[in-house]
Amino acid sequence: MMGKGGEAAASAQHKEENEEEGDMVGVVKLISAEGFEFVIDKKAAMVSNTLRNMLTSPGGFAETREGEVRFPEISTAILEKICQYFYWSLHYASGKETAEFPIEPEITLELMMAANYLDT
Amino acid sequence: MGSACSRNRGQVVHEDQLYSVKFSKSGSFKWLMHTLSRSSSDVLRKAQGPTPGRRPTLVELCVARVREDISRYSDFSMLPRDLSQLIFNELVQCSYINEELLGAFRDCALQDICLDEYPGVKDAWMEVIASQGQSLLSVDISCSDVTDSGLNLLKDCSNMQSLACNYCDQISEHGLKTVSGLSNLTSLSLKKCAAVTADGAKAFANLVNLVNLDLERCPKIHGGLVHLKGLRKLETLNMRYCNSITDSDMKYLSDFTSLKELQLSCCKISDCGVSYLRGLSKLSHLNLEGCAVTAACLEAISGLASLVLLNLNRCAICDEGCEKLEGLVKLKVLNLGFNHITDACLVHLRELINLECLNLDSCKIGDEGLLHLKGLLQLRSLELSDTAVGSNGLRHLSGLRNLHSMNLSFTVITDIGLKKIAGLNSLKSLNLDNRQITDNGLAALTTLTGLTHLDLFGARITDAGTSCFRCFKGLQSLEACGGLITDAGVKNIKDLKALTLLNLSQNGNLTDKTLEIISGLTSLVSLNLSYSRVSNAGLHHLRPLQNLRSLSLDSCKVTACEVKKLQLAALPNLVSVRPE
Repeated sequence: MMGKGGEAAASAQHKEENEEEGDMVGVVKLISAEGFEFVIDKKAAMVSNTLRNMLTSPGGFAETREGEVRFPEISTAILEKICQYFYWSLHYASGKETAEFPIEPEITLELMMAANYLDT
Repeated sequence: MGSACSRNRGQVVHEDQLYSVKFSKSGSFKWLMHTLSRSSSDVLRKAQGPTPGRRPTLVELCVARVREDISRYSDFSMLPRDLSQLIFNELVQCSYINEELLGAFRDCALQDICLDEYPGVKDAWMEVIASQGQSLLSVDISCSDVTDSGLNLLKDCSNMQSLACNYCDQISEHGLKTVSGLSNLTSLSLKKCAAVTADGAKAFANLVNLVNLDLERCPKIHGGLVHLKGLRKLETLNMRYCNSITDSDMKYLSDFTSLKELQLSCCKISDCGVSYLRGLSKLSHLNLEGCAVTAACLEAISGLASLVLLNLNRCAICDEGCEKLEGLVKLKVLNLGFNHITDACLVHLRELINLECLNLDSCKIGDEGLLHLKGLLQLRSLELSDTAVGSNGLRHLSGLRNLHSMNLSFTVITDIGLKKIAGLNSLKSLNLDNRQITDNGLAALTTLTGLTHLDLFGARITDAGTSCFRCFKGLQSLEACGGLITDAGVKNIKDLKALTLLNLSQNGNLTDKTLEIISGLTSLVSLNLSYSRVSNAGLHHLRPLQNLRSLSLDSCKVTACEVKKLQLAALPNLVSVRPE
């Protein structure tokens, strides 16, 4: 995951999407309310059921084709936290992560609402 | 989310309970497991550790975070209702909620307020509960001190579908009038409510949408059922232990043709009262346990073509008249325990091939009767405790490959008989509490590798026999109290990591070494080593048993003071301790 401008370098090894595995490889760009862009592995984005549905529904959403999703109601700070959670979750599931996921008290409710929207 | 809510509302008796099998005769253990559900769900979660694959959702993590920082919050009404509901449920589950915190949930449009048996619930809480208004769908304030005026605050929550006020002894007939306005109720539960009288029951007359009505233990209900006659949608009615219900009340039940489940345990009814049930063609569950009915009542019952469960435990059934059981071919559960029936009755069960649970506890049956059970291939649970069944009879059971649970305690079965059940490898629970059983009998059962519950309470198992326990890797409960096991035998138990209940009491030679050996059984919830040589000096070995909730060390060289010290220092979850 990285901020604006860094996306070109992101996960270059996944660049060429192969037709069969196209569902899981590659990257996707998440854009916050303020326009800040987060480029993350598609696999991480799939931790969110909402994003999974958007990215996998055949021929449905424009997001599927363009590989970017806008969140006009999610602030940059919250979206960054959510991206961190996606990776934490992947590592947790594989047993690599045992530490707790840190949540700052002052963002808890806003983060919870965003997580609820993203079904994650 | 939706399912979590509806679980609250689906009350009265669940199928699981009806088919449930009693795995342990120790009632206290059941209570322990029950208390686990709310008070220390945290402990269980931690004890189980992170399970790979099951990752917590971010919403769950946030909810837990809110709980940890709960003092920061005073108002959740800006949250979407499903999130405030999640936070509310978490606070209730962890026993965090109190009158002050409840205020943060004012006007949150919560749908479910389940405060069943929650400490401190009183009228002052009801105002916040009522502020959920038209959103409120289910409320459970069972065991609270809520009075008529508190209940009355709910009068405008007219969308309410489910209300439970069990054991609320401050509610009077006047309070029930509030309930009568909640005409959308589909479930109403008023266990042990003295306000349900011939007059008080008028409150039910308007509740035409009621599907489930629970009036268990209402002591003054006699004469009140007349007001139920308009409740044509009623499907389940629980009147267990309503000991003022007599035959004259029963006639009002005859019109409830949609009734599926009727519980009448310990009512004062006779065969005449049962005759009013004749037309209830949809009835699938009928519980007459402890009623003074005879086999003559089977005349009326035999016409109930939908019957799946029939409980006649502790009635006055004799063989004569039992031929009426033959037509009940849909029966899955039949309880005839503690009746005067003999082998002659069992012949009438031959065609009941759908039976899954059969209870013949303490009946006058023996080996010959079991022949008639041979074809009941769907049987999952068979209770033969306190009967004259012996080794010869067991051969008739060797084909019952679906048996999950069998109780052979206090029968005259000996070691040679056990070979005949060695092939029943679906068995999970087996009770062989019986002095004739020895190591030889147990050795014949090592094929039963799926056992989770094994009761050998009075069996004469020695250290040599304990080696068989190694075959039962999934054992969750084990009782072996025949007196012949020493520390050497306990070594065979140390790898049974799934054990939650272990009872080795009355093995007088067990020493502190036993405590050391079992110190790795960290799943243990209940441990009994009474009447052994365990001493104060060995208690420190119990420190790793963090899930322990019950510890019995009666008549050991242990002092109450030292056990108390251990409890305070290392075992915070202990709730039942002997000696105390």
